[in-house]
Amino acid sequence: MNTLLSATAITKSFAGIQALKGISFELRAGEVHALIGENGAGKSTFTKIVTGALQPDSGEMSICGQRITNLTPQTARALGIAAIYQQPLLFPHLTVAENIALALENGTHGWRVDWKRRRTQARELLDRVGVHLDPKRIAGSLSMAEQQIVEIAKAIGSDAKILLMDEPTALLTDREVDHLFSLIGQFRQAGVGIVYISHRLEEIQAIADRITVLRDGCTITCRDAAGIDRGELIELMVGRSLASIFPKHTVAMGPTALEVRNLSNSSLGLHDISFSVKRGEILGMAGLVGSGRTELAKTLFGLSPDTCPIYLDGRAVQIHSPAQAISLGIGYLPEDRRQHGLILDMALDENISMASLDQVCRMGLVQRGKEAAQGKKYILDLHIKAAGVSVAARTLSGGNQQKVALARWLAINPKIMILDEPTQGVDVGSKSEIHELIGQMAARGVAIILISSELPEILGMCDRIAVFREKTIAAVLDRQEATQARIIGLAFGHADAAILETGQV
Amino acid sequence: MRPKFRLSGIQWALLGALLFEVIVFSASSPAFLTWTNGMEILRFSVELGLLVVALTPILITGGIDLSVGSTIGLVAVIFGLTWQNLHLSILSSAALALLVAGICGLVNAALISYLNLPALIITLGTYSLYRGVSEGITRAAISVTGYPASFLRLGQGYLWSIPIQVFVFLLFITFYAVLLHRSKIGRALYAIGLNPEGARYAGLPVKRYLALVYLLSGIVSGIAAIIYVAHLGLAKSDLGTGFELQAITAIVIGGTSVFGGRGDLFGSVLGLLFLCVLQNGLHLLAQPSEATGVLTGALLILVVATDLVTERLKAARQGLVRWRRPLLLAGTAGTAVIVVALTLVLRSSQTGSGTGSGRHHRPVIAVMPKAKGDPYFISARAGAEEAARQLGVDLIWDGPTSLDPSMQNELVESWITRRVDAIVVAVANKGSISTVLRKARQHHIPVLTWDADAEPDARDYFLNQATPKAIADSLADEGARLLNGKGEFAIITGPLSAENQNEWISYIRQRVAERYPQMKLVTVLPSDDDRDKAFTQTQNILKVYPQVKLVIAISAPAVPGAAEAVQQAGSSVDVIGLSLPTICRPYIRSGVVQTIVLWNTRDLGYLTVYAGWLASQGKIPADATATQAGRLGALDVRGSEIILGKPVLINKANIDRLNF
Amino acid sequence: MNHRVRETALAATIVALLLLLGWRTTGFFTPANLVDLFLANLPTMMIAVGMTMVILTGEIDISVGSVFAICSVVMGECARTGLPMVVSLVIAIVAGALLGAVNGGLIAYVRIPSIVATLATMVALRDGLRWYTQGAWIQGLPQHFQWFGLSQSSFIGLCAAVVAVTVGLSAAGLNNLRIGREVIATGSNKAAAHMAGINTSRVVFGVFVLTGALTGLAAALNSVRFNQVPSNSGLGLELKVIAAVAVGGAAITGGSATITGTVLGVVLLSGIGSALTFLGINAYWEKAIQGGIILIAVAVDALQFYRKDKAHTLAA
Repeated sequence: MNTLLSATAITKSFAGIQALKGISFELRAGEVHALIGENGAGKSTFTKIVTGALQPDSGEMSICGQRITNLTPQTARALGIAAIYQQPLLFPHLTVAENIALALENGTHGWRVDWKRRRTQARELLDRVGVHLDPKRIAGSLSMAEQQIVEIAKAIGSDAKILLMDEPTALLTDREVDHLFSLIGQFRQAGVGIVYISHRLEEIQAIADRITVLRDGCTITCRDAAGIDRGELIELMVGRSLASIFPKHTVAMGPTALEVRNLSNSSLGLHDISFSVKRGEILGMAGLVGSGRTELAKTLFGLSPDTCPIYLDGRAVQIHSPAQAISLGIGYLPEDRRQHGLILDMALDENISMASLDQVCRMGLVQRGKEAAQGKKYILDLHIKAAGVSVAARTLSGGNQQKVALARWLAINPKIMILDEPTQGVDVGSKSEIHELIGQMAARGVAIILISSELPEILGMCDRIAVFREKTIAAVLDRQEATQARIIGLAFGHADAAILETGQV
Repeated sequence: MRPKFRLSGIQWALLGALLFEVIVFSASSPAFLTWTNGMEILRFSVELGLLVVALTPILITGGIDLSVGSTIGLVAVIFGLTWQNLHLSILSSAALALLVAGICGLVNAALISYLNLPALIITLGTYSLYRGVSEGITRAAISVTGYPASFLRLGQGYLWSIPIQVFVFLLFITFYAVLLHRSKIGRALYAIGLNPEGARYAGLPVKRYLALVYLLSGIVSGIAAIIYVAHLGLAKSDLGTGFELQAITAIVIGGTSVFGGRGDLFGSVLGLLFLCVLQNGLHLLAQPSEATGVLTGALLILVVATDLVTERLKAARQGLVRWRRPLLLAGTAGTAVIVVALTLVLRSSQTGSGTGSGRHHRPVIAVMPKAKGDPYFISARAGAEEAARQLGVDLIWDGPTSLDPSMQNELVESWITRRVDAIVVAVANKGSISTVLRKARQHHIPVLTWDADAEPDARDYFLNQATPKAIADSLADEGARLLNGKGEFAIITGPLSAENQNEWISYIRQRVAERYPQMKLVTVLPSDDDRDKAFTQTQNILKVYPQVKLVIAISAPAVPGAAEAVQQAGSSVDVIGLSLPTICRPYIRSGVVQTIVLWNTRDLGYLTVYAGWLASQGKIPADATATQAGRLGALDVRGSEIILGKPVLINKANIDRLNF
Repeated sequence: MNHRVRETALAATIVALLLLLGWRTTGFFTPANLVDLFLANLPTMMIAVGMTMVILTGEIDISVGSVFAICSVVMGECARTGLPMVVSLVIAIVAGALLGAVNGGLIAYVRIPSIVATLATMVALRDGLRWYTQGAWIQGLPQHFQWFGLSQSSFIGLCAAVVAVTVGLSAAGLNNLRIGREVIATGSNKAAAHMAGINTSRVVFGVFVLTGALTGLAAALNSVRFNQVPSNSGLGLELKVIAAVAVGGAAITGGSATITGTVLGVVLLSGIGSALTFLGINAYWEKAIQGGIILIAVAVDALQFYRKDKAHTLAA
């Protein structure tokens, strides 16, 4: 097998911090080479260097045996490198067809735009991905998952020799994931080299030929995927062994903290939702992306208010705004950390105090000393790795950012905490720390709603699990009766359940 | 703990530039670094400064408010009209005016924050709307004056030799500094500027706070309007024109980003001071007003570009972005442009100081036209320069480049500070300028007015080229002659708010009503002193009012505009008006324009300097009935008016003998 | 796309206005009046086409009024020195393009926010021109200056052709040329455009140069309608142009605007000004009415967007 891409001793530093200390990586034709590591290990930076978005400080890179210097996005494309990024990068005002075309066409397609060709090309590619999406739809109207599919179609259409996929499945349903994997299989057979980056170790074990582990900007090892087990991988990534991933404490539950009866929200499409959470209980919410979990969280938190009453400690209230929700003791850790969870350009203490400003204010004036002290306390308590309380949140790694976002809600001393994908895109080390924190909150008597797409997390952490399907709750399962297969069955509806009972998660 | 107060790089640069400014100006003009001059700078920066503090939080949220200048106009008009016409007390009309200001702010707030519309477009709409309403309800012509001294003290008086409005300004700076930098609202505003969605998810009341800053901006504009009225002693629909862009310039120079989330009040105030000191200093150095604009523009680019380039250089060094050649090229090009601009300024400042250096020996006569770009005043300037050469005096010729009435006051103030030997002003707003002219007289500087008069007690002499009534009568008589005393006619004026023109129009109406009852004025349309607009308006008149047989254009650029329209339409409508021979010559020759009424503008310009010199030398005795004025020979003096002569009717017969 | 709705609504408003004019007035629909109206608003129309592209990329240019004044003076000065008219025209266009390049360079390469950069050039260029001309008009132009030495009717034909070509080419170019799509892509998502290999800096630079050139062309065509050139033309032109583009449905954040919408916006706003005179409404209210129209146009758009937003969430 010939080598498509080889990189040796790549280094790169930002603002004096060395992000890559010496990455070596090799990709052969026809293999799926997984790249794993904690957040901040350097995976995304390395991807950007390979696609020409960033220039390395030192090190050598060659593509198809040819030494490459000064790689730009354009030359990378010309060399047959394509990438699917973690965050879809689309033109919201343009159609799906044009989004695909702009990524694929280059100067050779002439001055004029051939609309007909663009549309047929888009339809073909979307068919290959196995999704029925109208190429004439405006990208701005697509859901996140649909946007990710367009990204995949773009990458497929590029006829790339080297394909980088950074968390391509984060937003996809299992069915779409399966289809993607079969596509990957086809590419492998066609001799394409695929760099596959994911936090989902099960996926990696399922499709990877080789695995390269990065830690702290260095290549730790490169192994054949066959015969490696998860525990060993985790140990390689974090540099220490993790005794238990999901610490489930048994907590004495208190009275019901929150209850909704037949809740509906016409603007978000939610209907007939009834459930309750007790103090100290962790209620899991499983389901496909877009099944109504985040929508419910937004309704409860007053982001998309509706007229249905919500019962807090048995008292009916209507929540009109996030401010009101906070004053009632509800906290919400949103799914999108960078857009919603934090103000990235503000200092850590300012981010932490943001939802509980009144605590550090006197007569409406912010007391900086008190605020900084509070920030410092949480940085110590949550083991946030940062140079101080006054650095911008942007400078932190994903896991640490998530801990800061969580600290904001710990500071309001919530009675009810809604956590939306709290560990998505978070490295394994931080992940278990966050799980530990969730457990501690429950132990303090906080009623917790945990929304997660990672079934092991749901199964490991939760007392009861509400499974969502088509904007309502399909069933609520007890911890004892819940299995992956059952949850998937409920999430897809019974027709699909039999097929997926054995499927990969 | 972080340091409580930190200057950003751009602010250090600005502070340095401000110091540099102060040093240069005080070195070249002894009058600059004095208490009174400092206080005058402050006085003139208050109205703009109030807008600057109100707009800073808006820019920090990533928004913009272009309507503040128009709000000033509207509030001033409401304030004036309720006081004058409804006979409310000053206090209650102020309250009512502030209520209107609040409504102005509320409209912006509602549309921007609750309907989530782009601030730039919304406030562009209200910019036009508020100004339009204030012009509509006053027909742009009413200017309210005659305020009691107790009220004028607010804008013109002193407390412990500090102008009173400065205290109001300090109050608002403090209020806004606390709001923005100490309160939780301010914290939220920064968060909104950086990431509005993120702020909403953190439970911050984004819409309410956004609405608050726009509402406050309306109210503060209202307060600025009332102070402005007290300052000028005049309420009129065109107050505050162009203030919004000046305020934004000051804020951006002060380091606030238009993208939101970055900047502070200190920087904005620094930017404001920087601009006001620049303007004052350039006036003291007798630099033309245009220099301020050119320098401001160049410095705005220089400051922001330096900030960006340093940041990008830093980033490039740290490997965040690649250093690109085009950036370097553009940077060089930008610097080159700025260097050229600065050289221009320096070169002319050298010539300026060349004549200025002898000012202890040679008298300095300062003459102000109503507007600098107007062809009428340009032709007068030639005469003024002629007299200056002849008498061996230094001439400062400067005037407003925009409609805003405070510009004249500011120039006179700087001339008082500079201690010129005589001030000769073509008055744009009688009510507003008289106070400052009286002040000049208190400082024993002879004050003369020309073209249009101030209050009689505010000046020593008025150079009377022709009274408004004489001009209007000549125009009306000439029109009647052409129409044989009957028929319809239309008037094209300058800007709707021009005081002179409005006076002429009223005298024309009066004369026509008295003498020519069969003549009828069908419409008055504005040309904004724009030739092209006068052209379009005349085209409309020809079509909408086919019975019109005569167009009277009473602004210098409007006559050729109207004439061209008539000529292109092949119409037989007569055009007369008030304009200059030079720009009307082709039309008078071709017979489209029958007559223009004017005095010899060159002679008038000559007289401004000559009479100014005579007055400064005390060569006009108190009871004189005539005075020798150089090549003009003996001129009549009636009371405190020096009479130049009657308006001349210029037509085909004499046009080629006139060279102005 | 909601552009079609917006354009239909605009067209309907214009038709309603025309019907009102036809019913209440005489003389509006004479060919002479329509020609006058066209010529008077030619600069707005030409510059609005360029401004549409600037706004499409998510930027703004408030210096066009000052550039317009400078190009008019350049045109006059060149013609006065006896250069052939075509050469003067080309020089005026090049002058506009150069000033556009200064704006574009500051914005695309130095990365100064466009509103700041063009605010600075607007003030500096306007006052610089005043300084240079001292307010004097350019007179003593050769006989063939007016109408380019053509007859009045053939000049009007020439103008009509220029506008038609400009509007047609821009609309077609935005829709069907790769470079046009790149303009839209840049405004829609700059990061994505960069990743797709689009040189976004060059695109932004390009639209400013184009707008400058169009401003120069408009200034040249406008100045030859007369036999002397004033030095203060184009005051307030930038606001007129931006208002027209906004009424035409452009999103100020970029990525969404059409030439058709802009043309309709120009027609509506300029039609209103003339209509007021014809309907005998007092000129004092003109600004207020124009402001009201801008607000209504944008607010209606928002309400429409609300409904669409809701419908879409339901569908999803």
